[in-house]
Amino acid sequence: MQRPHLKLKRRDLLKLSAAGLVSGVSVPWFELLAGTAVGKPPKKSCILLWMDGGPSQQHTFDPKPKGEFSPKPTSVPGIHIVEHLPQLAALMEDLVLVRSMTTEINGHYDAKYFLHTGYKRTTAFEHPSIGCIASSQVSGAGDEMPAFVTIDAGYDRNDGGRLYRNVPGYLGPHNAPLLVNDPNEGLENLAPTGSDVEARLKLLARSENRFARQFATPVVSAKQAAFDRAVRLMTSRRSRAFDVDEEPASLRQAYGKHKFGRSCLLARRLIEAGVSFVEVVHRGWDDHAGAAKPIAYRSPWMDAGMATLISDLKVRGMLDDTLVIWMGEFGRTPGDGNGHFSKAWSTMWAGGGLKTGQVIGKTSEGKNPGAEIAERPVSSPDFIATLCLALGMDIQTEFKAPGNRPVLMVDKVAKPITEMLG
Amino acid sequence: MIAVRSTALLAVGLLAALSMPVATAGESLLERDVLPILTKNCMGCHGGLKREAGLDLRTMPGMLKGGDSGPAIVKGQAERSELWKQIASDAMPSGDDREKLSASDKAKIKTWIDAGMPTVLERQKDVDTLLPGLQRHKPQQVAAVVDKHLGGFLQTAGLKPVALSSDAAFLRRVTLDLCGRVPTAGEAAKFLDDKDPDRRAKLIDALLARPDFGKQFGRTWRDWICPPELPSNGNAGTQPYGQARAFGDWIGKKLTEGASWAQITREILTVKGAIGKSPQVIFYALVGQGGTTSADGTARAVASLFLGVQLKCARCHDDPYRDWSQREHWGLAAFFGRTQGDFTKIETGKGASKKPGEIAIPGSAFRNSGQTVKAAFLRGGEFKVKETDDLRPPFAEWLTAKDNPFFARALVNRAWFYLFARGIVNPIDDFRDLNPPSHPGLLKMLADEFVVADFDVKHLFRCLCNSQAYQRTSRFAPDADPQLRSALTTSFGRMPMRLMSADVLLDSLKRAHGDEKLDLRTGIKASTVGMAAPVGDIWLEFQRRFGTNEEDATDFTHGVAQMLTMINHPRLQARSKALDAFQKKTPDAGVERTVEWLYLSTLSRRPSPEETSEAREFIEGSKDLNKAYDGVLWMLVNRSEFLLIR
Repeated sequence: MQRPHLKLKRRDLLKLSAAGLVSGVSVPWFELLAGTAVGKPPKKSCILLWMDGGPSQQHTFDPKPKGEFSPKPTSVPGIHIVEHLPQLAALMEDLVLVRSMTTEINGHYDAKYFLHTGYKRTTAFEHPSIGCIASSQVSGAGDEMPAFVTIDAGYDRNDGGRLYRNVPGYLGPHNAPLLVNDPNEGLENLAPTGSDVEARLKLLARSENRFARQFATPVVSAKQAAFDRAVRLMTSRRSRAFDVDEEPASLRQAYGKHKFGRSCLLARRLIEAGVSFVEVVHRGWDDHAGAAKPIAYRSPWMDAGMATLISDLKVRGMLDDTLVIWMGEFGRTPGDGNGHFSKAWSTMWAGGGLKTGQVIGKTSEGKNPGAEIAERPVSSPDFIATLCLALGMDIQTEFKAPGNRPVLMVDKVAKPITEMLG
Repeated sequence: MIAVRSTALLAVGLLAALSMPVATAGESLLERDVLPILTKNCMGCHGGLKREAGLDLRTMPGMLKGGDSGPAIVKGQAERSELWKQIASDAMPSGDDREKLSASDKAKIKTWIDAGMPTVLERQKDVDTLLPGLQRHKPQQVAAVVDKHLGGFLQTAGLKPVALSSDAAFLRRVTLDLCGRVPTAGEAAKFLDDKDPDRRAKLIDALLARPDFGKQFGRTWRDWICPPELPSNGNAGTQPYGQARAFGDWIGKKLTEGASWAQITREILTVKGAIGKSPQVIFYALVGQGGTTSADGTARAVASLFLGVQLKCARCHDDPYRDWSQREHWGLAAFFGRTQGDFTKIETGKGASKKPGEIAIPGSAFRNSGQTVKAAFLRGGEFKVKETDDLRPPFAEWLTAKDNPFFARALVNRAWFYLFARGIVNPIDDFRDLNPPSHPGLLKMLADEFVVADFDVKHLFRCLCNSQAYQRTSRFAPDADPQLRSALTTSFGRMPMRLMSADVLLDSLKRAHGDEKLDLRTGIKASTVGMAAPVGDIWLEFQRRFGTNEEDATDFTHGVAQMLTMINHPRLQARSKALDAFQKKTPDAGVERTVEWLYLSTLSRRPSPEETSEAREFIEGSKDLNKAYDGVLWMLVNRSEFLLIR
């Protein structure tokens, strides 16, 4: 693959910045930053694996004895998941299964909104998503790396309605995610095009300097600062985080060739480079013609990608500081998984210093197994509160929505799942 | 001395401070100094939401009336005022977890009470509009009065306005503002070579006469009407972007055909039938809920857009901070209770109201659910229901009547905000007694003029664009005081630099590259497939990426992703069709003329000698002449001067 920016050698980078090619503003600390290993972000990081459309709980993490997929034992005695996810089953001591999600909304888009924000949609304003909130809680001003990145892991056949876009709302556009549309291509427009980039930047820098002297206003310095951040990212070592091909072939193979596995690998690299929140979206889980066949088909790459991600994070000593969550906007009707089902469904959690190796909540057995919550219902606000607390955020933080309206980071009705927090 | 205060709630602070800088130094005024403190610390419990101890501090009469324990404030005597005693002793704000007032906040409140509770409002009582609002005036006459108003203000504040902008800066600014895209190289050269002393006024006339003006006005309104994310219908969540765009185009077309703002407003609000014939049908669903119309959503939108007031809090309860009641919100909603529709149609005779002219507060409101509220014009008393089922026509009649107190000033303030990046009232939809305008006489004069000119939008823009205020430069030297800069900007003594909106930027890039289909998406086809596609069509994707802050055009909202697109997107480095056409037409243009043409078609000016020689140096250092020209074009569109409106 063509990656011209990676062919820029370090001494070329130095030359670029020494020539003052980043427009206007001088950046003496840039090389310092690029040259040193990146420190850990101040708070915990999160990788959210979003199965858009609503994955079936009975075909993944809450199988029933007479269900279409048979329950298989995991590395933790007494906990069973489907037979199709053997690698994850072997890692059960690092996982928490929440089997009692109950979230009211059965329509795709409103459910995606509810599970991303912890609030139901209103017409008054947009609530910020959890990724935007996490971004707002880390200081990243002046840093060329964004705090929040979303990765599109491609799509199967069963689209689940309009994609939820992470809207920062009243937290401001600087908390919007940077989008990666294909994990194999990395960040779009990151690589310089054309061989004369240095000459062009130099030509631009001269006029920008003059302009800043004539029009010394905040909007001009803001433009030049944003531009410089982009140029720094193009030439910074940290931008290599976007290139999964730098990983050893054996590891790439373990993650899998599928875009989902590649996205998991990219997510790990980004967290390492200082990104706080990565959301990987795989679209196409709206399995109205039955969940068994499509999930049997998807399981191998999902199992490989997730299990490798978790063990890779562990090997690098990053698992305790990195929360991994697998979920969709709801589950599917018990049995064949044909319909939407928000009443009783599952999410999977790993890492983040959680008390792992356990199951939270329980769905009913009996005549129609899985039709009800039997124990410990978890609502959307409960879920978001737990996520925020696991990341070390203060859930009572008050934001101001339009009209000076106070909105808490998490709805005050939330009851976090304290029994899984470390 | 200019006191700069930052209050998130009331923008009035700085402006009020400016209008009375010397005489009132050390003085405490309600709207400027006291209200922000009361709003932040007190009104949560003693406002519209909760009237604890019977006290409602939202209005002056409310403060004087006090609560269960008698008057809260005794004019002129802080020591005898219950409010002051509670605050001074830290009994209020109550509760251990509440922050008490700082010494300086306390001092402001005490000074204010002791001085007899002075307000900005009372000082603005007898404003002189400097122009009798009896008949339509010549635009130049109105423009001169605009400058007189602003000049008086600046003089009182001890500020000296900056010089007028250069012809080139004016040309680019007024073309972008009125027609929504950069001038062509030909247009720019023609204006720059024009020696007519009236060339600026002539240019304004010419731009207003173009359909482009309607188009730009229409899409600006579309953006004001549309929420940040469009509503969607049903389970799949389809958003009506196409319909919203057609609606903006429709507003533009009406305006171009000569319709007044009153007429356009009436046609929006009284629409019925299928969307095919009437693109404005989408208005109701855009401001509704979940892809269908809603009476209360309509009430809030009509209030914000056409009346200039914020009723959003008053849906569920009386507004905690502003003097709007829940009854007023639902009284307005009742006019829209017998209309129902979605993305495709509007039908009358059914809807949330069981009976025409009244509506029940729904269960989702926090207060007074189930109570029935009768239709009432805002601050205008109950409406007598006639024999008709559709109350929208009488509402639209009231709204667009020449003596409606809200309608004209709401549009005038938005037009001003559009051109100056700041309203005369801010936020632009928060007109109320305790949020006074910075220039009351100016606002009244412009609203009167707009009324006597039969709500002629072009006349209004012609008046504003001909003012010196609009034509001032945005230049500012780096060694000058930034406080002075912001004081000058907020008092309209200097033009702020603004960021191009997504529509204007895309159209300007299209012009610079001579490509009406300019596509800045990536080449990943798979990402545009399916309903959940992360990448939308060319226009939508550009909007998503280069959308700007609607509340503040001076806010540079673009980040790394946008700059990377500008820097590295292959399409912005590929051949410009416009440049190709220029070279074909003038094969012997040579370096100097080609560079000049590139400057004219992007920055609307000719290069300085320094810029020409830099470009020449760059071109000579390149092996391929055409590639070098592409590089110059790339440099031009990546400049602050291109992305910003100076």
